Amino acid sequence: MLLHLAVQNLQSDRKGAAVNAAAACVGVAALVFFVALGLGVNDAARRIFPREARLIEVVPASVSLGPILGGGQLDDAAVARLAALPGVTGAHRKLNLRVPIAANRQPEGMRYNWPQGFVVQIPVVGVEAEFLGGDVPAARFVDRGRDEPMPAVISSRLLEVYNKTISSSWGLRKLPTGLALVGVQLPVQVGYSIVPLKTESEVYEARLELVGVSDRIPVYQLALPLAVVQRLHREYGKEDPGYSGVSLVAAEPEDVPRVAAAVRRMGFSVDEGDRAASERIGTAIQVTTGALALVALLMCALAALAIAQSLSAGIRARAREIAILQAVGATLGDVRALVLAEAGLVGAAGGVVGVALARLAAWGADRTAARLLPDFPFRPETFFHFPAWVLLFGIAVGLGAALLGALAPARAAGRIEPARAIG
Amino acid sequence: MISLRSIRKRFGDGEQSPVLDGVDLEVAAGELVAVVGPSGAGKSTLLYVAGGLDADFEGEAVVDGRALRGLSDRARAAFRNRTVGFVFQSFNLLPGLPAVENVLLPGLFRSEAGTDAGARLSALRERALEALERVGLAAKASKRPAQLSGGERQRIAIARALFAQPRVLLADEPTGNLDATTGAGIIALFREMAAGGMTVLVVTHEERVSQAAGRVLHLEGGRLR
Repeated sequence: MLLHLAVQNLQSDRKGAAVNAAAACVGVAALVFFVALGLGVNDAARRIFPREARLIEVVPASVSLGPILGGGQLDDAAVARLAALPGVTGAHRKLNLRVPIAANRQPEGMRYNWPQGFVVQIPVVGVEAEFLGGDVPAARFVDRGRDEPMPAVISSRLLEVYNKTISSSWGLRKLPTGLALVGVQLPVQVGYSIVPLKTESEVYEARLELVGVSDRIPVYQLALPLAVVQRLHREYGKEDPGYSGVSLVAAEPEDVPRVAAAVRRMGFSVDEGDRAASERIGTAIQVTTGALALVALLMCALAALAIAQSLSAGIRARAREIAILQAVGATLGDVRALVLAEAGLVGAAGGVVGVALARLAAWGADRTAARLLPDFPFRPETFFHFPAWVLLFGIAVGLGAALLGALAPARAAGRIEPARAIG
Repeated sequence: MISLRSIRKRFGDGEQSPVLDGVDLEVAAGELVAVVGPSGAGKSTLLYVAGGLDADFEGEAVVDGRALRGLSDRARAAFRNRTVGFVFQSFNLLPGLPAVENVLLPGLFRSEAGTDAGARLSALRERALEALERVGLAAKASKRPAQLSGGERQRIAIARALFAQPRVLLADEPTGNLDATTGAGIIALFREMAAGGMTVLVVTHEERVSQAAGRVLHLEGGRLR
């Protein structure tokens, strides 16, 4: 019933209500806009640096005192010790291929404009099928022998970089993303290097067959089964003193710091690589978003002050009206509740409009960015992310600011003496 | 119905002489009583004490069997809501609300648990229209006070007072802002209410109102004579 009266009162003073709602609206719009921008940019950063919270990349220490004092090579014994660390659920070996592989012809099974005389040196890492998780069926990622195509996996991010930068600058055809490339075969020369004096004495023709894409593969490398890399090393007489790296999977993300510390105590290094970059960018985004959100919250606080001032003036002007309500049976609590209800409605309306305004501004910003910014890798469709909680948070802040601003006026309204105000 | 004994009321820091200085008043049910006196004599104050609008007084005020001193805010509000109806010289309608919404105001402050708000509002509107019908203004239900004449506004105020079906009507200079003809209509309405069993206490300085009352009391020097 009080709500009905509050609505009636607001309708009778639309201008005042609109001014108060606008104050709440501007603060909420700014807050929701900046928070959504922070979340959107954070999402984009995660696409550039996909970070698996449970993964720890172990590499041999750059300076080692040997296996007696800890550290040294990442051989099978070391891998076993790493796998046995508390909190570790998996240890996946990695081995960089030390036999050069180059491609000098266009892939088969697709239309492509391979430039004449174009040779690409391919950096390769050997990994275990289990390391790729569900990205590639394990049965397809095996060594099928020298005469069969070598199953290969590339980073999905490599396709993005290629399509957005390399293809356009070199005038090459863009490649389809996702799994559309699976099955494509690329003729390669094993043992051939574009670096002078690095070509092996034996060079032979082989094929790489793309069997999948995975975010676990570094953007600058192509992954072959570990067994293929080991076979090639045997074929070319390369010794394998140890693995290039080991990816440890922690049971929980919270275990990572403890496991990393244990790894370092064992004399190995932890390659922060993408993780560090991702964390640095994430921190930068959080700090920036936090600062902007703080400014927006200050705007909301100012809105609360503006609403408080406006309502206080309104209460003074409406003293007689409030006294009339008391004359017909309103309690002091009713009067206070009425003022708060009016403020709440104004704040909620301001919040809803503010959220809508933020979405509109985000749409405008995205459109402007699409028009003005070049097509760079990982450029998101939108720089904003509006999960439901952000929208509800915006409305709640509008409501909260208005209610906060209405507290003192509501108390003042409750102090009005009806006999004095009417008389 | 109204029993005031030794009512004293003082404004300010207590150095001023009391505006009510030992007022005694007895009004029976169905009686129309007029209190007259010069401006500033305390007529309105007397009405506010009797109506539970002013709780800061000395003495004993009993209305419809309820002692008003010491009542909690909630109990006093319920008393104003159910037992008394007020009519003021300056009408005291809420300017932003249509006539029908002004009339149903007392209904908004009655707690009736378990009733659907929408259905309750519809019922209140219906009753408000009936009250407007009684004062001959049903056709003006959607008009705002600014769109009505002084006489119409006062009748809306009376309809609001009647809406709550009070036992006591307290009117403060109800014809003060009205022309003679309109004022006469209002006075006739009060007589009709008193005849129907409602206790009507009118404070006025207009002779035409006091002439219509069954009893006229003079308030002067803080006392009734």
